[in-house]
Amino acid sequence: MVGVKMAAAAASIRERQTVALKRMLNFNVPHVKNSTGEPVWKVLIYDRFGQDIISPLLSVKELRDVGITLHLLLHSDRDPIPDVPAVYFVMPTEENIDRMCQDLRNQLYESYYLNFISAISRSKLEDIANAALAASAVTQVAKVFDQYLNFITLEDDMFVLCNQNKELVSYRAINRPDITDTEMETVMDTIVDSLFCFFVTLGAVPIIRCSRGTAAEMVAVKLDKKLRENLRDARNSLFTGDTLGAGQFSFQRPLLVLVDRNIDLATPLHHTWTYQALVHDVLDFHLNRVNLEESSGVENSPAGARPKRKNKKSYDLTPVDKFWQKHKGSPFPEVAESVQQELESYRAQEDEVKRLKSIMGLEGEDEGAISMLSDNTAKLTSAVSSLPELLEKKRLIDLHTNVATAVLEHIKARKLDVYFEYEEKIMSKTTLDKSLLDIISDPDAGTPEDKMRLFLIYYISTQQAPSEADLEQYKKALTDAGCNLNPLQYIKQWKAFAKMASAPASYGNTTAKSMGLLSRVMNTGSQFVMEGVKNLVLKQQNLPVTRILDNLMEMKSNPETDDYRYFDPKMLRGNDSSVPRNKNPFQEAIVFVVGGGNYIEYQNLVDYIKGKQGKHILYGCSELFNATQFIKQLSQLGQK
Amino acid sequence: MAVDITLLFRASVKTVKTRNKALGVAVGGGADGSRDELFRRSPRPRGDFSGRAREVVSHIGKLRDFLLEHRKDYINAYSHIMSEYGRMTDTERDQIDQDAQIFMRTCSEAIQQLRAEAHKEIHSQQVKEHRSAVLDFIEDYLKRVCKLYSEQRAIRVKRVVDKKRLSKLEPEPNTKTRESISSETVSQNPSKESEEKPVTEEYPVEKILPDTQPELGTWGDSRGEEELSPEEIQTFEQENQRLIGQMNSLFDEVRQIEGKVVEISRLQEIFTEKVLQQEAEIDNIHQLVVGATENIKEGNEDIREAIKNNAGFRVWILFFLVMCSFSLLFLDWYDS
Repeated sequence: MVGVKMAAAAASIRERQTVALKRMLNFNVPHVKNSTGEPVWKVLIYDRFGQDIISPLLSVKELRDVGITLHLLLHSDRDPIPDVPAVYFVMPTEENIDRMCQDLRNQLYESYYLNFISAISRSKLEDIANAALAASAVTQVAKVFDQYLNFITLEDDMFVLCNQNKELVSYRAINRPDITDTEMETVMDTIVDSLFCFFVTLGAVPIIRCSRGTAAEMVAVKLDKKLRENLRDARNSLFTGDTLGAGQFSFQRPLLVLVDRNIDLATPLHHTWTYQALVHDVLDFHLNRVNLEESSGVENSPAGARPKRKNKKSYDLTPVDKFWQKHKGSPFPEVAESVQQELESYRAQEDEVKRLKSIMGLEGEDEGAISMLSDNTAKLTSAVSSLPELLEKKRLIDLHTNVATAVLEHIKARKLDVYFEYEEKIMSKTTLDKSLLDIISDPDAGTPEDKMRLFLIYYISTQQAPSEADLEQYKKALTDAGCNLNPLQYIKQWKAFAKMASAPASYGNTTAKSMGLLSRVMNTGSQFVMEGVKNLVLKQQNLPVTRILDNLMEMKSNPETDDYRYFDPKMLRGNDSSVPRNKNPFQEAIVFVVGGGNYIEYQNLVDYIKGKQGKHILYGCSELFNATQFIKQLSQLGQK
Repeated sequence: MAVDITLLFRASVKTVKTRNKALGVAVGGGADGSRDELFRRSPRPRGDFSGRAREVVSHIGKLRDFLLEHRKDYINAYSHIMSEYGRMTDTERDQIDQDAQIFMRTCSEAIQQLRAEAHKEIHSQQVKEHRSAVLDFIEDYLKRVCKLYSEQRAIRVKRVVDKKRLSKLEPEPNTKTRESISSETVSQNPSKESEEKPVTEEYPVEKILPDTQPELGTWGDSRGEEELSPEEIQTFEQENQRLIGQMNSLFDEVRQIEGKVVEISRLQEIFTEKVLQQEAEIDNIHQLVVGATENIKEGNEDIREAIKNNAGFRVWILFFLVMCSFSLLFLDWYDS
C-alpha cells in the first residue's frame, strides 16, 4: 500500500505540470472528462514566459480540446472579442501588469481569469485592483490565482528554469568577476523562486545538500529559508493541501543536490555520441524543437530562374514520439540502424494493406461465400483502423531520417567521432595514440571551435599544467587554426582557483572501442552511409555529477562529499549541521546544477539510475546550453 | 498547486476604494459603480454571434437530455413483457426518431447559417478565427449527440432485423405447434436479454429450449394418448433433438451474420468520414488546378505578345538601319 503510494509519488514532473496547466485552463476547476459535455470556449493570453512553459507540454490540438479558441501573446495587438472569458497566464512584472490594466480599461473580453506564473506581490495586486475600479470592471475579474509554475519541463524528468531571461542566470552572469552583491542577490532570488515553484508543484519538501563555498550554497541557504517560512506559516502553507496526494504520504523525502557548474567544466565542452545530445550539440535544438535547414537537391536551374531557396523545417520532438523516447540515449549508429528497421517494418505493413486491396478486387467478382467475406471484412477493418497509425509512423520515420541525416552530415564534415574518441581517452587518462598537436593542426578535422574544445578539455583534465613551451606551441597551433584564445584565459584562472579549493575532479575509467566498420556497413546496407565514421561503442562511465549524486544518495562516505552542507526545512531548529539525520539511502533525488547543464549529464544520470530499481532522478539546471554557447560565455569571461 | 487569491484581490479592491475615498480622488464609479457597469454593459452590442451560438448549444443540450431520458425506455425491449411503466410502442419510437432527425437537421442548418454570417461584418482576423473555432466546437458537440442517437437506433434496427429473420424460419409440419411455441420463446428471450451483446445469450436460449421440450413432452403425454408406443416417443424425441441441432446451427449462423453486419456498418461509417474529408480536399485541389490552368493560359498569351513585340521591334530596327544607309548613300551622291 505504501509502496504503491511511493511509486506514485515519483510521478513525472511533466505530468504534474500538465495537469496543473489543464486545470488552470478549465477555470481552475478539476477537469472531468465528459464525452457529451457542452463546449465552453475561452481565449488564452500568455506572455513569453508562459509561452515557453506551455509549448513543450501542450500542443495546439490539446489546447483546442480544452476549449481554447485563440491563443495570443500579451503584448500583441488584440481586438476586442465580446462575450468570451479570457484566461491570462503571465509573470507578475510591471509591464505585464500595465498591459493587463490597459486591457481592463479597453474592455476587451467579458470576464478575466488571471493566473500568475509565480506569486504576485500585494502592491501589484492593488495596482490591478485600482485599474479594475477605474474601469468599473471589478466583477469582470472572476478569479485570480498564483499558479507556482515558474519552470519549464522538457522531459519527464528534466526541467530548466527559464528561457527568456537566461542571460540573467547564465554561467557568465554568476561567475563574472565584476558582479555586484545586489546583482548576485537578484540572480539568486530568481533561481530560488523557480526552485520553490518546482517544489510546490512536486508537492514535497526536500532535504537539501550542497557543496560549500559556491553559488550553490547561496541558493541552498535561500531556498531553505523560503521553504521554512512557508512551512511555518500554517495558514497559507502550500505543502499541506490535500491535493498534494501521494507526495505527502511517502516515507521518503526527496534529496535535492545542488551543484555548481564549476565542479565540472569539461562535460559541457565534451563532444558527444548519443542521439539527443548530438542533436542539441550540432543542430538548433530548443525547447524540444529542432530547426533544420534543408537545401533541396542540386538541379540545373534554367537561366533566369530565381535562386534556390533553402527550406527551413522545424520538428517537434515530443514524448508522444515513441522512437525518440526509446532512442534518445542510444549511440548514434544504433539510431541509424533502428531507423532502418522501422522503415522496413513500415514498408511491410504498407505492402500488406496494398495486397488487401488487390485481394478485395479479385474476390469481389466471385459469389463471395460468407466465410471468405468474413476474413476480408476483418482484415479490412483492421487495415482501416490501423491506417492512422501507419501514417503517424511514416511521419515519425521521415522526421527522424531527416534529423539523423543532418546530424550525420555534420559528423562527417567535422569528424566528430575522432574528437569523441580522443576526448574520452583524455578524460579517462589512458594513453593517447595521436598527439594533441597533430589533431589541432589537422586542417580538415573540425571547426576551430571543436579544436578549442578539445584543447580546453585537455587543459582541464591534466593533473599538472603543461610547460610554458608546450603551451606556447599549442597556442600558436590554435591561433593558426583560427581560434579565439579568450576561453583559455578564463580556464587558466579557473584552474588556479579550483586548485586552491579542491582537487580537480577525475572522470573515472572509460574506454571506447571501435568495431569493424566494414562489417557493420555491409550488414545494414543502410542509406546512412557510415563509411569513414567509426562505430564507437560507449562504455558506462560516471561523470562527476553522477558520482556525487551516487555518494549522497547511497550515503556513502567519500572525501568529496563528506563536507557538504545539510539543510532540512522541516526541522524546527534552523541550524546547519553537517551530519545528516537520515541514515537510509534515498529513493528519489533531484539534481540541480547552478550555472547551466546539458544533455550529456542528463543522459549519464538516466543511465545511472536505470541500473537501480525503484529509484528516480530528476535533473534540472538554471539554463541549458550546448558547447557553442558555453564557449561564447567563456570567451566573454576571458576577455576581461 | 495553485493558490486562489481572489479573496485577496477583493480585499485589495476594498482597500483601494477606501483609500481613494480618503484621499478624495474621484473614482470612476464608487457608489455608482454598479449602475455604471450596467449602463455600460447594455448598450454594448450583446454579441449577436455569441448569443446565437449559445442558443444553438442549449438546443443541442436539450436534444441530448431528451435522448438520454428516453434512452432506457427506447432500448428496453418488448413492452408486452414488461409492466406498463417502461412501455413504448413502435410508433412512439418512430416518432422519437423523426423528431430527433428534424431537430438535428435544423441545428446543423443553424450552424451553417452562423458560419456564413460570421465572417460578414467583422474585419478583425482574431475575431474571425475565434468564431470559426467556436463553430467547430458546436459542430463537434452536435456530432457527439448524433452519435448517441445513431447508436440507439442501430440497436433497435438490429433487433427488428433479428425478429424478422427468426420469424421467417420454416418449421416442419408435424411439430409445427411446438415450433411456433419454441420460436416464440426463442424470439422473446434473445430480444429480452440482448441489450448490447447478442453473443452472451446462447445460454438462456439453449436452456429454454431443452426446458420447453420436456414440457411439451409432458403435455403431449398428458393429453391422454396412452397409445403412444415407446418407439413413437423415441422417434419424437429424436426429431426433437434434430430440430434443436438445426435451431442451434441456424442461430449460430444468424449470430455470425449479425457480427458481419455490424462490422460492415462500422467500416461504412469510417469510409464515409474519409470520403467526406477527401471531398473537401479534392475541391481544394480542383480550385488550385483551375487557377493553374488560367495562369498558364495567361502566360501563353503574354509570351505571344512578347514574341510579337520582339518581331515588331526587329522590323523597326531594320527599317531604321536601311533608312540610315540610304540617307548616307544619298548624301554621299549629293555631295560628290
